[in-house]
Amino acid sequence: MKISLERRGSVKSWHLIGVPLLSVIFGILVGGLFLEATGYNAILIFKTMSQTSYTTLYGIGDTLAAATPLIFTALAALVAFRVNLYSIGAEGQLFVGGIFASGVGIAVGTSSSALAIPAVLIAGIVGGMAWMTLPALFRAWFGTSEIITTLMFNFVALFLMRYLIYGSSTYWRDPTSTNFPQGKKIDQNAWLPRFGTQSIHWGLVLALVATVGIWFLLRKTRFGYEMKVLGDAPNAARYSGVPVKRMTFTVLIISGGLAGLAGASEVAGRAHALDPNGLAIGLGYAGIIVATLARLNPFGAVIIAIGFGGLQNSASALQSLGTESVPSAIATTLQGLILLLALAGELFVRYRLKVSKRVEVSA
Amino acid sequence: MIAARHISKSFPGVLANQDVSFDVSAGEVHSLLGENGAGKSTLAAILTGLYQPDAGHVEINGARVAIKSPRHGLALGIGMVHQHFRLVSQFTVAENISLGDRKQNWILSTKKVEEAVHEIGERYGLPVDPRARINELTVGEQQRVEIIKTLYRGAQVLLLDEPTSVLTPQEVTTLFDSVRTLASEGKSVIFISHKLGEVMDISDRVTVMRDGKVVGNTAVAHTSREELARMMVGRDVDLSAIRATKPVGAPLLEVRGLTAKSARSQVSNASIVVKAGEIVGIAGVSGNGQRALAEGIAGLTPLIDGHVIICGTDVTSKGSIAARKAGLSYVPEDRNGTGLAPSLSISENMLLTEDLPFLVNLKSAVAKAEEAINAYSIKTPGASTATRMLSGGNVQKVLLARELGHDPQVLIVSSPTWGLDVGAVEFVRSKLNELRNQGRAILLISEDLDEVRALSDRIYVIFEGKIVMECPGEGADVTTLGLAMAGASA
Repeated sequence: MKISLERRGSVKSWHLIGVPLLSVIFGILVGGLFLEATGYNAILIFKTMSQTSYTTLYGIGDTLAAATPLIFTALAALVAFRVNLYSIGAEGQLFVGGIFASGVGIAVGTSSSALAIPAVLIAGIVGGMAWMTLPALFRAWFGTSEIITTLMFNFVALFLMRYLIYGSSTYWRDPTSTNFPQGKKIDQNAWLPRFGTQSIHWGLVLALVATVGIWFLLRKTRFGYEMKVLGDAPNAARYSGVPVKRMTFTVLIISGGLAGLAGASEVAGRAHALDPNGLAIGLGYAGIIVATLARLNPFGAVIIAIGFGGLQNSASALQSLGTESVPSAIATTLQGLILLLALAGELFVRYRLKVSKRVEVSA
Repeated sequence: MIAARHISKSFPGVLANQDVSFDVSAGEVHSLLGENGAGKSTLAAILTGLYQPDAGHVEINGARVAIKSPRHGLALGIGMVHQHFRLVSQFTVAENISLGDRKQNWILSTKKVEEAVHEIGERYGLPVDPRARINELTVGEQQRVEIIKTLYRGAQVLLLDEPTSVLTPQEVTTLFDSVRTLASEGKSVIFISHKLGEVMDISDRVTVMRDGKVVGNTAVAHTSREELARMMVGRDVDLSAIRATKPVGAPLLEVRGLTAKSARSQVSNASIVVKAGEIVGIAGVSGNGQRALAEGIAGLTPLIDGHVIICGTDVTSKGSIAARKAGLSYVPEDRNGTGLAPSLSISENMLLTEDLPFLVNLKSAVAKAEEAINAYSIKTPGASTATRMLSGGNVQKVLLARELGHDPQVLIVSSPTWGLDVGAVEFVRSKLNELRNQGRAILLISEDLDEVRALSDRIYVIFEGKIVMECPGEGADVTTLGLAMAGASA
């Protein structure tokens, strides 16, 4: 018997939904086996996970709040990835977006919310764009690998952000906090209002608006059409007259703006200050995974981001589970396992297993 | 020597080979003739062990064999020379031949190989310096290396896949001499081609395939080009020469001293004029600057020097949009990849050379695509099908439909019939002729010398980026053109 992979003749629409769904179920099953094998009560753990993330009102609230920045960073990733620009700089752009947003948020003082909130959000966008400018210029005009430059810029941004809070008495640091250094609170007028539960804020609405906006850009405009051509066949774009360098630059800058907005939304909606520990939890990198799993579809990214946000929430909840408490390493393993299988399952969207009898061999 | 018995092979959605039987004796040159998609390549892949047949089997010297892999095939004496060479360009000839040679020790010694290359070269008229690097060799020499490689591994049966597509006429003659020597030494040669003239020249017997089936098997002495063409296509075809019937008009395309670079293609100081109502051919072996010339004129690459004037407008280095606005259409050689974005649908591709507003109206594109599908009888499940799913001929039809839809005054077509089946070739040629009769100027860039001769009113020859010769199309002599294409100064 011989087992081989064979390309599917045509990809049916149910493959696009069914395959990832089955992958996740399979991931949960394998995760369950793993938990049982290491001596934990898998049923209880999964029950807790679903309660903390998906089936209770507060759980859903926390999940949506966790999903908000992921939607932005996933949009940032998918816009760039669609034209084969593999920017992994959302992480750093998010930090710089946060720095700019908090800076403006502290400065706006007592101006009205109608002014303060847009100012903070725009500052975040500008920050993200600014952080992308150099990598984008170098990529578009000199062909420098955006993967390397954006990655390097992430570390610079991370240490810049830490320096602003931990390293010195800067404008961003709260002078009143005597024990552990903290960011200075931004003006209350600049806070994104909360609604529903205690954790959901207007950032979520903004993220959904951005999703629709990106969908419209990709789907309905000349710019989106040219992106599609460029992503599929750069030579066809050149042939058609698309200014390829300018296009490359613009797409990367849009991506940076979205990542910066993620930072602004976190600052103005969740922490209300520049909060290095809360921002540096890998939101930019997770956005790449979300975008990939969503097959670079903006609406898909929202759904995946919500699923992913829940997974992140529940992992922390598992650590405080009393007698059945799971060490954080195991929670992360479980999270990784589900993701890994979901990604591996993607193969079966385009390929199927073919089992054939071995051909008989004679001299 | 080798025989295929009742072979069938299917791929999802296609029956590539259907009950195919075919045999080659020792010392015979046997041609496999058929259009693209007729099943020649599938059969070749089965004979060399790349694919396993679904039904039927292969026999070698009367014994039934199952060829498990190309390596196993080679061990059984079956070697293939692919259309696209499989050589490492930085390695020497001997090193390439040693690659994958299980006779080698773990310390590589190419001395014996070098001797063998020399000996094989002498014997079959395939001279090549075993110590030369591949990237120093001409395409014809590289092909010799491929042939020597299979002979060195002990091939008794040689499959040559479209071997002449990359050669000059003179190189073809040399290749055919070697093929005859091989046959006279008792080797079998399977010559895979869709070029009737060459098949008539070189083969003893010919097997014609159409739609995955064998439709004819005959000795070449008992057949004619016309009969083979009819078998291959299934109807009568006319590919005789067509020239301008009306007097030519004013120059529509003027190229003066064009110097440009694009990727690895380079052209220097080329001056060309194409007048209304004429087809001007650019003949040349692939890779002699044709791409830089076409892209320079069409505005895809900025000029280093020179001028391009389209219908009186100077569009030098102004980009492809400016060239289009001046009345130019360009149908590139790389259809799916440059002329079309392969993953985009037919309707989306209809917009590629449009002047688009900020909001794209996809509905109008669908209407355009449907119109093109009807007018050009494009075979496709629908307007939303990605162009990479279409066959070569249909891809070219989509491209032509879009470009001719702009009603261009000047048309540049690059290898317009390359890889197309005879029916599509006929269609493309009649379209070009129609445009000529409407008083348009057409620049035909092609590596297919027969095509250039059959259609052009005037011919330029390009060699190493320079225009080396100009002559009228009527009565152009193959030998003279061939020599110019190879760089011999006339």
